[in-house]
Amino acid sequence: MRKDDRGRIHLKLVFYGPSLGGKTTALRWLYGKVEGLQKGEFTAIEDETNRTLFFDYVPMSAGGRVLFDVFTVAGQKRHRHQRKVVLQGTDGLLFVADSSPDQRDENVESFEELKLFLGDALGREIPIVVMLNKRDLPNRMSRDEMLDLLGLGGNVPIYETIAIQGVGVKRAFQAIAREVILKRMYK
Amino acid sequence: MSEPKVFDKILTDIIRQEKGIRKVILVDKTGLTIANVSKLSYYPVDVDSIGAIASAVFCASEEQGKNLQIGELEIVTSEFSEGKIFASACGKGVLCVVSEAEVNIGLIRLLMKKQGVQLAEELDKFLAVEPSTPAKDRELDEEDLKSALAELERV
Repeated sequence: MRKDDRGRIHLKLVFYGPSLGGKTTALRWLYGKVEGLQKGEFTAIEDETNRTLFFDYVPMSAGGRVLFDVFTVAGQKRHRHQRKVVLQGTDGLLFVADSSPDQRDENVESFEELKLFLGDALGREIPIVVMLNKRDLPNRMSRDEMLDLLGLGGNVPIYETIAIQGVGVKRAFQAIAREVILKRMYK
Repeated sequence: MSEPKVFDKILTDIIRQEKGIRKVILVDKTGLTIANVSKLSYYPVDVDSIGAIASAVFCASEEQGKNLQIGELEIVTSEFSEGKIFASACGKGVLCVVSEAEVNIGLIRLLMKKQGVQLAEELDKFLAVEPSTPAKDRELDEEDLKSALAELERV
């Protein structure tokens, strides 16, 4: 269990997924709109067009002595090594898949990369929640098509989200936070 | 288990030996700030954020070294117009020193290397806490987790 010098428990959550899929948008929505969470500073390492270069980071707490260190990764393919670094010590993952049909291959590549980095730990030691984002797109892929694409069975919690409006984002965050806490309690 | 005060003592030893050092931070390789000390009691920085970036930058440089096959990373030095940041490996953690621009770089490197060995030993004890955690501490952790779970449902 990761603890700081005040004995508070820290749990690391990472938003992962393809470029421009909505990871930073989802985190910014949680940061800006969810009142019940206590939040620290929002740190973003990004370029001048606001594309994430390394990670975004916000410490969050629902109160008490448990803190969630929430990170996003840079989604662009060339930032593969940065993603590997950010994943170190992850307690839980939010995979943000893009519902746009032209992002089909990018979703698969990103999920395959995640499996490669985490191996058997993914879904076993490290819980994952999947956000099917951009559900407001008129030409969005169907839920079943996306789950088939990612090779997901019935064991992974799936949330349909519209990050830009915050739809489903809080529920997805609560789900992964809950999974991670339960994992710690009953491991 | 290593007491957090042990870290404060080592970090304080470092900060006292070079007058140009402003802040010393110990982070683990997941980005968690474990301990920090400042020369001035009021030093308005977001330590959690500084720690997360320090750890990430160091680990990214390590990864770069692996890709280029140029051996183990010892220290990362970032030079700014009004200050310097040094980050060095200490076992499972990263020791980060923030200084003024004009400092004795050799002394800082020496200090980081020397204290890094001791910090690495203490970190090993601190991070290997789970198997030897006393039952009372485990109960407290469980209480904290239960309470966080309940709070989460109310968000």
